[in-house]
Amino acid sequence: MDPAAGPPDPAPAPGATISTAATVLDGLGAEVLAVMSPVSICMALVVLLISLLAPPSSPGSAAQPPPPVTAATLVYLESPTDTPGQKLVGALLDAAVFVALVAVVTFVLVALYYYRCTGFLRNYMRFSAFFVLFSMGGAIAAAVLRRLGAPLDAATALVLLFNASAVGVLSVFASAVPIVVRQGYMVALAVIVAAWLSRLPEWTTWIMLIALALYDLVAVLAPRGPLRMLVELASSRDDELPALVYESRPTVGPASGSSSYASAMGSVEMQPVADSGRSGGNQYDRVEQEDDSSRAVVEMRDVGASRSSIRERNLEREVPMAVPVSGQSSNQGGSSQHAVIQIEQHEEGETAPLVSAASANNAAPNEEHRESSSSDSAMEFEMFESTRGIKLGLGDFIFYSVLVGRAAMYDLMTVYACYLAIIAGLGCTLILLSICKHALPALPISIMLGVTFYFLTRLLMEPFVVGSSTNLGKF
Amino acid sequence: MTVAAGLGYALVALGPAFSLFAGIVARKPFLVLTLLTSTLFWLISLIILSGIWRVFLPIRSGAWWPYAILILTSVAFQEGIRLVFWRLYKKMEEMLDSFADRISKPRLCLTDKMLISLAGGLGHGVAHAVFFCLSLLTPAFGRATFYVEKCSRMPFFLVSAIISLGFLVIHTFSMIIAFNGYGERKRSDQVFVPVVHLIASVMTLINLAPGGCVIGTPLLCVMVAVTLQYCWQMVWRRLSEQQHRQFSS
Repeated sequence: MDPAAGPPDPAPAPGATISTAATVLDGLGAEVLAVMSPVSICMALVVLLISLLAPPSSPGSAAQPPPPVTAATLVYLESPTDTPGQKLVGALLDAAVFVALVAVVTFVLVALYYYRCTGFLRNYMRFSAFFVLFSMGGAIAAAVLRRLGAPLDAATALVLLFNASAVGVLSVFASAVPIVVRQGYMVALAVIVAAWLSRLPEWTTWIMLIALALYDLVAVLAPRGPLRMLVELASSRDDELPALVYESRPTVGPASGSSSYASAMGSVEMQPVADSGRSGGNQYDRVEQEDDSSRAVVEMRDVGASRSSIRERNLEREVPMAVPVSGQSSNQGGSSQHAVIQIEQHEEGETAPLVSAASANNAAPNEEHRESSSSDSAMEFEMFESTRGIKLGLGDFIFYSVLVGRAAMYDLMTVYACYLAIIAGLGCTLILLSICKHALPALPISIMLGVTFYFLTRLLMEPFVVGSSTNLGKF
Repeated sequence: MTVAAGLGYALVALGPAFSLFAGIVARKPFLVLTLLTSTLFWLISLIILSGIWRVFLPIRSGAWWPYAILILTSVAFQEGIRLVFWRLYKKMEEMLDSFADRISKPRLCLTDKMLISLAGGLGHGVAHAVFFCLSLLTPAFGRATFYVEKCSRMPFFLVSAIISLGFLVIHTFSMIIAFNGYGERKRSDQVFVPVVHLIASVMTLINLAPGGCVIGTPLLCVMVAVTLQYCWQMVWRRLSEQQHRQFSS
């Protein structure tokens, strides 16, 4: 506090320095943080849930809560009496089956998307979101209520739960819902699935996480990887991704409900399937998209060029420029109007830093992360921004949280270490994203770091820290 | 001793850090990122240290000298980490400055640099408090409390929280002092930081003696006060110097 409060009397000068300083330091990193904070919130909630629900089950018998019947334990269900070798083999089998299932489901979804069965996809995603919120969320809510000893009669609980789920489904799919609500439900979905998945046996969890990270690497980066195909398909159609994706940037209202994925920088990772049939979904209305195509935002620098070729060149050309782009131009009349608007905004954004510090807040593209400062309330700015949010697949949320949740069952120390590792991995991924500018898998780096740090902490650090601090020797 | 006690201990250790975070750091995303980075740095340094010391642990004998060596090496290592962190910061500052030039904004000013160093120091401090205090605090949320054999007057958690608070403040503000010292190439500042860190750590050795925590903890608080005072003076001097320069120019 002291340094900031330092200059009380030299009122004018520090005031000036602070206001000018704000221009460089202020918006920097906002976009990164806009991704990191929901991930942090999600992980924190999962840890809270797990530590809240853990006590009643841990003193119980080894039978524990009903072992979750999920795809991940189809083959092998760990029991504490097994030898490590058995556990390892079983866990490997489980992970293989799980990943294979995820891969199959992803391929099916990609195929459906390829053949434009979007109606089916949409309804399927709706159903899965509803299922997750209603049944799994309901089970977790019931467990929490039981733990807290808060009685609630069945009728009220059902009504509340149904309403919450209905709003959730609506907010996930319709774009007319405030972005905060949508983001909130995204996080809620991730928390529920993660809390559910963290009931898996320990070995299975670890092997499964690693396997998924590897799968993610392949699926996004391999030439025929399903997720990569999905992303490319979506961007070639100028379409929304048919997946549950967290958007860090507000796509405000219906006006910019269709934030284009054609901008190559967009997505960190698209992971449409979190768990076979559990999540994943297209939260966007097809109908909305058709409406939105007339509101498309056209890249400034292409306006001078021939309009018809915009879409093709967007993908290659835009990328090196400071401003990512949405290149939808299916409706020429509509988009040309908006193009004009966009030109004005764009110039405003470009010149503002030169002109005045007051409005300079608008566009401060960070070189490293290709991001800009948090938005003002200006509508046009939001549209401008909507094309450049970082998007993170919900699967990443879930598996980060599963890792942290698993760490929470050991000790808090491992939780902090894993959290830091995951966030660091996410940061690395974002830096890589700014370098190579196409969709990247967000799981591998984070999960590998997280797993490494977990075991390092557990094996090396804990005895050290506990040993020295129970003797009250610190440094 | 239930949830209230646990929360209380946690707030004793991390309350000031939280208010610093909410009041200053959280306003600027970049500072939050700095804080996370520095926390990660500290964690990595701790893991490396524990990797080295893992072989010798646990120390069974009641002798104090293994702890002294442990603390000496740890402090030396962490001061080395601080230097690495400074190098990184320097690089980042150059990048930020060139970035500011490109978008025609003023470069980082003194308060900016101090804010960054505050965030970096806070990261170190928070990491310390989290790993040395908060992660051991889980039992405090239960129904009992815990006393260490050597310190039978105060609950272990309370001593731990106070010591963590002390180190948090020392880490936070000594980072400002250190960065400033490196920036100005001022020997006294550069030396002051490791010395304070070392003295504060050695003071926790007093806790090894029976009943030592009654003496060691207040002494640590004195060191905290010294650090704060030194940091305050330095920041005050720099700010007034800068202001003079601005008036004259």
